[in-house]
Amino acid sequence: MTMYNLTTDQRVDKALADNFLRQATRRATDRLRNNKYKASDELGNWEEWRNAGETIRKHVIANLDFYLHQLIEQMEKRGVHVHLAKTPADAVGIVRNIVREHDAKNVLKSKSMISEEIHLNHALEEDGAAAVETDLGEYIIQIAGEPPSHIIVPAMHKTRQQVADLFEPIAGHALSSDTPTLTRFVRIQMREQFLRGDIGITGCNFAVANTGSIVMVTNEGNGRMVSTLPRVQITLMGMERIVPSFRELDIMLNLLARSATGQRLSSYTTILTPPKKSADSDGPEEYHLVILDHNRSEILGDKLFRTALNCIRCGACFNVCPVYRQLGGHAYGSVYSGPIGSVITPLLEKDWKKWGHLPYFSSLCGACTEGCPVRIPLHDLLVKLRMRKTQSGHTPQVEQQIFKAYRYLFTREKTLRRALRLGAHLQWPFVRNHRITGGPAPLSNWTKSRTLPMVAPKPFMQIWADLNNKR
Amino acid sequence: MTNTNEFINHLASKLGRPTPIETPPPVEISVPQYRLSNTEERASIFLQNWQALGGKGAIVKSDNDMLQCLKEWFGDLPVTWFKDNPQALIAWDMLPSIAESAFSTLNWPLTRYTQSSLDPRDRYSIAAHAELGITSSDLGIALSGTIVMNSDPLRGRAVSLLPPRHLAFIETTKIRNNLFEVLEEISALGTPPAAIEMISGPSRTSDIEMDLSIGVHGPIEVYVVVTDN
Ligand code: SF4
Repeated sequence: MTMYNLTTDQRVDKALADNFLRQATRRATDRLRNNKYKASDELGNWEEWRNAGETIRKHVIANLDFYLHQLIEQMEKRGVHVHLAKTPADAVGIVRNIVREHDAKNVLKSKSMISEEIHLNHALEEDGAAAVETDLGEYIIQIAGEPPSHIIVPAMHKTRQQVADLFEPIAGHALSSDTPTLTRFVRIQMREQFLRGDIGITGCNFAVANTGSIVMVTNEGNGRMVSTLPRVQITLMGMERIVPSFRELDIMLNLLARSATGQRLSSYTTILTPPKKSADSDGPEEYHLVILDHNRSEILGDKLFRTALNCIRCGACFNVCPVYRQLGGHAYGSVYSGPIGSVITPLLEKDWKKWGHLPYFSSLCGACTEGCPVRIPLHDLLVKLRMRKTQSGHTPQVEQQIFKAYRYLFTREKTLRRALRLGAHLQWPFVRNHRITGGPAPLSNWTKSRTLPMVAPKPFMQIWADLNNKR
Repeated sequence: MTNTNEFINHLASKLGRPTPIETPPPVEISVPQYRLSNTEERASIFLQNWQALGGKGAIVKSDNDMLQCLKEWFGDLPVTWFKDNPQALIAWDMLPSIAESAFSTLNWPLTRYTQSSLDPRDRYSIAAHAELGITSSDLGIALSGTIVMNSDPLRGRAVSLLPPRHLAFIETTKIRNNLFEVLEEISALGTPPAAIEMISGPSRTSDIEMDLSIGVHGPIEVYVVVTDN
């Protein structure tokens, strides 16, 4: 996947040069954001719902061990196979084994961010049991070989013509690029797969601890297909995705549907309490639940960042983020993009070298925090992450030197005065209209794309001293 | 694979305390919930919201109303369907009696999903080739225009999923104000059924250029008859 081989700067340049992408991102985020406003305003007391959402999430995370245990007990009591995965590799291994054991040829998937996080599709492809993505957007990017560009509308960066071009080789004939034609094509194409499916893999929006239920929301109905027709089902869940009971589920489902797409409820909200009863005609006989840690337990133990686990993956923070709105998701380079992606990716992946740029993909305007239905202080977490990164010694050499010089000068008054006087002289070749517009490295890193105010010919300290003298 | 106790103890150590033995006291939740004053109002708001989502709906008060309603929606279509496919109408084993008698009066024979074949794949295929899937509905939600169906051995989950059209029957008295009431009522039943399906309108997607498109995987047309005795 080419996207993954580019540097951060290259990805950003690519995004900035792609007019369709930028327009599409703005269109998608505007639409989703406005829908959310409508759906949250109509409740008339959104802040109270947010309060409730925040309280519930905090309570669950503070008692995650208890609720997870309860969930596992409930599930196992009924014969669900529960698998606990410490790492993405463990999770992939578990799914691979199940697929192999059943000698499954037709593996179907509905949307699951965990499957993206563990790069499941790639592994299954290697085994010759590729999982077909059944969500329309996911299907499009699967054929294109790209990661999702938005957590709710993963293929929003593709034009309908590009989609038609991707579908044509599969259709074996030309397709017109109007949406109804494309949708109909997918309906027919996917139908056969659904009817033949051996194993269904799904994500999980919420797991209800006291009943041992899995809640899934979709609008297309693919989630229902994948959880109704195949004989075997595997559900992938991040270990924090829990609610204590149906009582709290009401709040969370309202917040999720309204924040994600502005719906009162998604078209299909399915609560599964698996496996099927023996006399039931439909539904999986064999059910596997894979619960993933992947450093979530580290986040749990880290008081500074624990609130990051409260996320319900609604995407509302993406839609209001000025950085995301300019760049779209691919520039981030990570599976999870947007403000929450910038927070959790470095924490989950624990690799500052690769993901150290993410906390800086933010203007710190706070729009994300304001938009978050469970009140995660996202911009605050981004600042703290910058601090973590600096403490761990991963800032670039130049930046470290500059801040050393800064500390040196600002703790020595005389030297500072001398340096300012010197600067006032040396700057002249680079000053245009009272701004510094060029200069030697490392200054040029800044002036390449911006200007700096010039050093005042008469420093403020001097002006102050003169005023004092005059009095 | 990790052992459960080890996994849970690890979390407890991260939380800096032993795992609680008792269920933690539930958090207090106080959100003002949407409420309507009576059954009639709930039925009418439910219908409005269902229609706003793109579904068709009507309230019927008598056997005759029911016949009129079905005729108006489907006209002679079933007769045409039956020519190609005698199993064009696929239904749950039991429907409300007002619906059963309407179908027999209209002479539109129903294929019962669970009895249509012993082999699940055959059943799926029959349902996928049917023109209309017919079910009842246990509960409804006025605020969101949602029908709620609990799975059970006499009811195929595929009936409301695979055919291109879905028709559901619901009694006015089963329509609740909001999701909270529905979840509360289901909790009270004890262990939930294997699947609770909440359906709000037809299958939809906006995945291509944010352009709304109906019927990508699930039913394209959805109908609800609200029966008021
Ligand atoms: S951080 Fe908040 S706004 Fe962003 S996806 Fe998570 S829950 Fe939604």
